[in-house]
Amino acid sequence: MSLLPFLAVASLGTLIVTVLRDRRWLGTVAAIAAILVALGAAVVVRPDAPLGIGGGALAGSDHLRVVLVLCLASGLLVLIVARLATWQPSAPGALLGGAAGIGLALGLAGTPPALLGAAAATVAASALALGSPAAPSRIRALARELRGATTSVVVGLVAAGIVPGTAAIVPGTAAATGAGPVPAEPAAAALVLLGMALVLAHRFGAIPLHARVSRLADATPSSALPILAAWLPAAWGIVILGWAPVALGPSSEALGLERALIVTLALMTLLLGAVAALIQDEVDHVVAYTIVADAGIALLALAALDPAARDAARAWVLVFATTRTALIGWTIAFRAAFGTGRLRDTAGWLRRAPSLGVALAAILLAVVGWPGLLAWDARLAILQSATAGPALLLAYAGSLGTGVAICRLLVVGAGRPSAIVAGAVGELPRLPGRPSGATSGPATPASPGTAAAGSPSVRARAAASSLPGRLRGLAATIGRDARPALELNRVPLRAFVVILLAGLALLTAVGAFGIEAAARAAGPALPSLGPLVGG
Amino acid sequence: MTPLLLVAGALVGLGAAVATGARDARTASLGLVGLLVMAPFVADPLPAPLPLAFGVVAGILAGFLVYVAARRAPDRAPPTLGLPATIGAAAAGFAAGIGATAVTLPRLGPDAALAAGLAALAVAIGPIAIARDAFRLGSALIVLVASGFLVLTALAGTPPPLTGIAAAILVVALAAAVAVVGGGAAALGGTSGPDGPDRRAATSRARSDHR
Repeated sequence: MSLLPFLAVASLGTLIVTVLRDRRWLGTVAAIAAILVALGAAVVVRPDAPLGIGGGALAGSDHLRVVLVLCLASGLLVLIVARLATWQPSAPGALLGGAAGIGLALGLAGTPPALLGAAAATVAASALALGSPAAPSRIRALARELRGATTSVVVGLVAAGIVPGTAAIVPGTAAATGAGPVPAEPAAAALVLLGMALVLAHRFGAIPLHARVSRLADATPSSALPILAAWLPAAWGIVILGWAPVALGPSSEALGLERALIVTLALMTLLLGAVAALIQDEVDHVVAYTIVADAGIALLALAALDPAARDAARAWVLVFATTRTALIGWTIAFRAAFGTGRLRDTAGWLRRAPSLGVALAAILLAVVGWPGLLAWDARLAILQSATAGPALLLAYAGSLGTGVAICRLLVVGAGRPSAIVAGAVGELPRLPGRPSGATSGPATPASPGTAAAGSPSVRARAAASSLPGRLRGLAATIGRDARPALELNRVPLRAFVVILLAGLALLTAVGAFGIEAAARAAGPALPSLGPLVGG
Repeated sequence: MTPLLLVAGALVGLGAAVATGARDARTASLGLVGLLVMAPFVADPLPAPLPLAFGVVAGILAGFLVYVAARRAPDRAPPTLGLPATIGAAAAGFAAGIGATAVTLPRLGPDAALAAGLAALAVAIGPIAIARDAFRLGSALIVLVASGFLVLTALAGTPPPLTGIAAAILVVALAAAVAVVGGGAAALGGTSGPDGPDRRAATSRARSDHR
């Protein structure tokens, strides 16, 4: 039941911010307020009694709470960074609509409803992000997203129909009577595994299906990119990786060839994705290809067909989505600071934007991690579950590709400053110049001798000197002075928010918010809560 | 397999063929309505009255949204195949689905659902694989979702009502997105789909909302 308020608030918020998107200031205030309220509703999501709906159930879980909180918190920070640079009216609606869809998908019991929910979330968020204002590249990107989500859900539905994820616990079956899990027909299991791998590969953008992410980065408003390129694929991944060990785990011995094929695809994605990220010149594309590269890890988690890898993947996917969101926020601030995202034009950027450098270094730490850290351990657990020997070495090397790509950005920043960088505004805060004769305090009262006691001017002076009067004066001063100060300090403010984003990514990487416990506590029951025929 | 199920499955196949093969966009949207309204009835046992009604109403709503998009769709984007060829493809898919009983495919649902699902799949694949027009692509995607749901019904039996409700929500969301794509395409003077002939010309960044 605790999920219902979140769904209601997020859906209503989507409606409100979409209606108000053409009003710059009102839309901004409404968007921030709606996301904060949705964030508050997400915080109270907890594993409680499922709400029965149509023979199924809707329920919250600790993992779902962490997913929603991180999605909304990081998405809000990216929106603020973007708002300090430009106005992207479609992004808040996409974030809220996408988060509502993720809540629905991960809260519904059973694999088919969860897949349908994930597809509906993708369709809604894509339409909200790309539908308006209309531009040829956006309409094409939207059509491409609709095609991808629909094809994925149909493949997933058929796969879940052939090998239902919860068949092993249907009352009356061998598993339910304690006779152990029932392996699926080998040919059917092979077909289903390959189909689900195809879906996962497409949603994350694994090679050779990587064009989707790159084109999305080109066409989507940058502040809507986290929900479309990171969080929604993460939701698809959580659904599929939750289903796979239950449905196909008993058949894993007979699926050697298919699993090897998926591991090969994953290794190709890890290595080629890293190479692609290293040769890109646009920072947006660097980030896009780091997403592509990490699709390899998701595929390895699927190939493992192992509950331990599933639990690790549930934790890793949160680190993945949060760090990519932070990287996207960083690219928005970078682009706004220098007016371009081309690395060849922004050599030496660290001199002008050291705070962005600190934030990028923190994101690098969160992405790579170190032994003992959640980000590191979860990734390594996935790699070890699916590979061994030379393949493990290759996977390990490839999984560090994102870190290498970020190091390259830092190396470029340490070079000799280009003309564009030299002419850019620095990160030091500045105070607005005050016109001569202007005052920032309350209106100066008339001199004491010019008005008699009890006259209106005396009463005004007395009112101004009282506490409420002083507060009113202060508010007026802030209102008058804040806007020029904000205009002057957009660069340091953006850098500050990006540092907050990097801090959030770092907290996620160290396993704050109870991520590890939430991932383990879910067990095989996420998203499937009960014995439902048909998944 | 009862004759009524067979008739319902055949109507679904016909609706899918009209939705993807009709030259006039409005006729295509009417075919889509027929497909979406009949699809929930191709199940044995039938879903409970409330989920059945939900599916029918969602189908009508989705069809209406696509009809709105169809009114603005340009006439210069005919379907890849003509209507007779599309009906032929749907009939072939339907026959293949009925014939699947001969190979003892293990499943819990009716043969008519598999036949209708394969008929819809057969006609949807073409416009999706080569999507030259946004409206045609959108219609085919809705047909594809319906076909996936029918195949699921054929394999796993009548799905729980929650699955039907979720599928209906997806169909309505997809239809709304199709209306958005269609409206955007019309506003831009009939932009083609992702695989259209002018796709290279529109690769520039969409920064119209940047200031």
